[in-house]
Amino acid sequence: MKLSARYNRVNLITTILVLLITGIIYYQAISLILTNLKDRELVVEENEIFEYVKLNHTLPQTFESNDQQITFTSATPGSVTRQFINTMYFERWGIDDGRKKHRRKHNGVGEYEPGRGLISSVTVGNNYYKILIIVSKVETEDLIRIIFTITGGVILLLLLVLLITNRIILNKLWRPFYSIMKELRLFSIADSKEIPKLETSIDEFNELNNAVTTMTSKAKHDYKDLKTFTENASHELLTPIAVINSKLDTLIQTGKFSEKQSKLLNDLYGGVSRLSRLNQSLLLLVKIENGLLHDQQQINLRILVEEMIVQFDEIFADKELGLTYTLDDREIYASRYLIEILLNNLISNAIRHNYQGGEIIINLTSDSLIIKNTGEDMELTDKIFTRFHKSSGSEGSGLGLTISRQICENFNFSLNYQFSSPYHVFTISLI
Amino acid sequence: MQSFSDYCKYEKKHAEKTKEFVNKCAHENPESLQNSSLHLKKKNLKILIIEDEEGLRESIEEYFIGEGNICETASTYQSAMTKISLYRYDCILLDITLPGGNGINILNAIKENNHPDGVLIISARNSLDDKLKGLNLGADDYLVKPFHLSELKARVSAIIRRKTFNGSNLLLFKEISIDLLAKQVKVGKLPVKLTRKEYALLIYFIANKGKVISKNAIAEHLWGDGIDMANNFDFIYSHIKNIRKKLMEAGCNDYLKAAYGMGYKFDEQ
Repeated sequence: MKLSARYNRVNLITTILVLLITGIIYYQAISLILTNLKDRELVVEENEIFEYVKLNHTLPQTFESNDQQITFTSATPGSVTRQFINTMYFERWGIDDGRKKHRRKHNGVGEYEPGRGLISSVTVGNNYYKILIIVSKVETEDLIRIIFTITGGVILLLLLVLLITNRIILNKLWRPFYSIMKELRLFSIADSKEIPKLETSIDEFNELNNAVTTMTSKAKHDYKDLKTFTENASHELLTPIAVINSKLDTLIQTGKFSEKQSKLLNDLYGGVSRLSRLNQSLLLLVKIENGLLHDQQQINLRILVEEMIVQFDEIFADKELGLTYTLDDREIYASRYLIEILLNNLISNAIRHNYQGGEIIINLTSDSLIIKNTGEDMELTDKIFTRFHKSSGSEGSGLGLTISRQICENFNFSLNYQFSSPYHVFTISLI
Repeated sequence: MQSFSDYCKYEKKHAEKTKEFVNKCAHENPESLQNSSLHLKKKNLKILIIEDEEGLRESIEEYFIGEGNICETASTYQSAMTKISLYRYDCILLDITLPGGNGINILNAIKENNHPDGVLIISARNSLDDKLKGLNLGADDYLVKPFHLSELKARVSAIIRRKTFNGSNLLLFKEISIDLLAKQVKVGKLPVKLTRKEYALLIYFIANKGKVISKNAIAEHLWGDGIDMANNFDFIYSHIKNIRKKLMEAGCNDYLKAAYGMGYKFDEQ
């Protein structure tokens, strides 16, 4: 649920509730005032009766007019207490001329309307009379209804206006929030883009923006630190590796070696060369992730693949691998250095994980480069792309495919693996 | 990453330059061309090693010394600056990261004073930018640590061949002569047809004559260090076999010897 919807809902319910309560109070107040008015009218009428009785010593003639009815009934003295009552007022058609003509369509002689009555008593001579004066309250009711309709209408209008303005204002108010959200969604720890400073007068969003900016820059900073550490560590390793390498080169010049010593030296060479490759791979990975390689140019992938194939000629021959390839022209805009590494890695893999007399198929079309190779007849998991994942007995660095995928991502290509027996298929989508 | 293809491109670029120069020289002074190969053979090389890492410096020195070559070393920025201002060298091996200053400044000093010394940058910074920067500033080549001494020697030989223009298009070793421009190998008068890689390998061997070259170094020279074929270097063997066969068929002595299963040695004896 959106915040604005939630807010609107709460807002609406409370507004309606408050308005209902005030409506009731309002109604009560108006009807109280109007009833008081009527009561005063009744008192005036009562006084008139008293005056009349005092003057004439007889009951006035009862008549019905001005929406008032007066009835006298004899009663036991003292049995009547003076009081105001809400009662019904029976309105006779025709007596009440024309004023409510529209009601004539009803059958009957009249109808009951709400009324206000005053019960009082008067003594004429020896007779004790109960006086009942009833006035119609229909006008009061009408008045209340009109007032109520108008206020109700105003309230509805107010609600509507509030709702609309709320919506507009909320949308406007929340705009900085959505822009921060957008920035956060686009945020990548690896790229150099900072979350921009937000122009808003709302303190909360300023605070949010500040918090987000601080957080992201801290994350970036830590990430950079980590990468710098990797880079520095790899760099620092290069020199000792270079020393070992050169000492080995010097050592083998020193004289005759027994078979056992040669074997040891060979193993040493192998270890050092793996160490140095691993180190270079780490450095390369950092460099790609940092986007430090920008020697982008137009490259014809076909020519590059052909060069690679020539490069690997002897190794194909040595492993008696059957190579079939169909290459179309495909121009890409990328770093030649990185694409060479990519091809080198993929073809090396296809050779390394192949068996003697196996097969390699390379297909280059305008939308993909596919390298298939035979090998162990078992599907590999997607883990092959994670760092330092190695199949058993593999002598690689465990970074080749990670680097390859990173290179592909760098140029918005995608590198995927499938297994369709007997081939392991690596596909670079060039779209 | 110093792959063979890189190396080839690089050689080609320089070969064209040299060709122009040699043609010019030949035009102006026909005799110089003929005497030159003799001259190169006799000349003692003077090399300056600017490297702060003692172990590496010593190894390089030890590898380069001999055959009358002279090696001098400098381990700090200041001593290097002093040496390059006082003496001239055939080739300067320059480490970029030095205590006391940046090696790039040394390169600048050499170039600003128009010293003809060849400069090979050895650096732990395997960054393309650095490489381009170094080469743009006039370094002759760029080698990234860690490297094999044989690779370094081959690079230095190539630089010196190009620098001492005197007939650098002809590389001689006993009865083998190699025309570096035409990339033709002859044994005596008999031409030998070698493949691209066999040719590169032969040059590599001659540059490192008398030294044992490990299989690793050979593989990295020919296929680049990205090849990652670990300890399986069987495919080198067929190359060696082919070169030896082709040379011996043309009447060449067998100079190529296997060394204790670790590598090969190209030797006069």
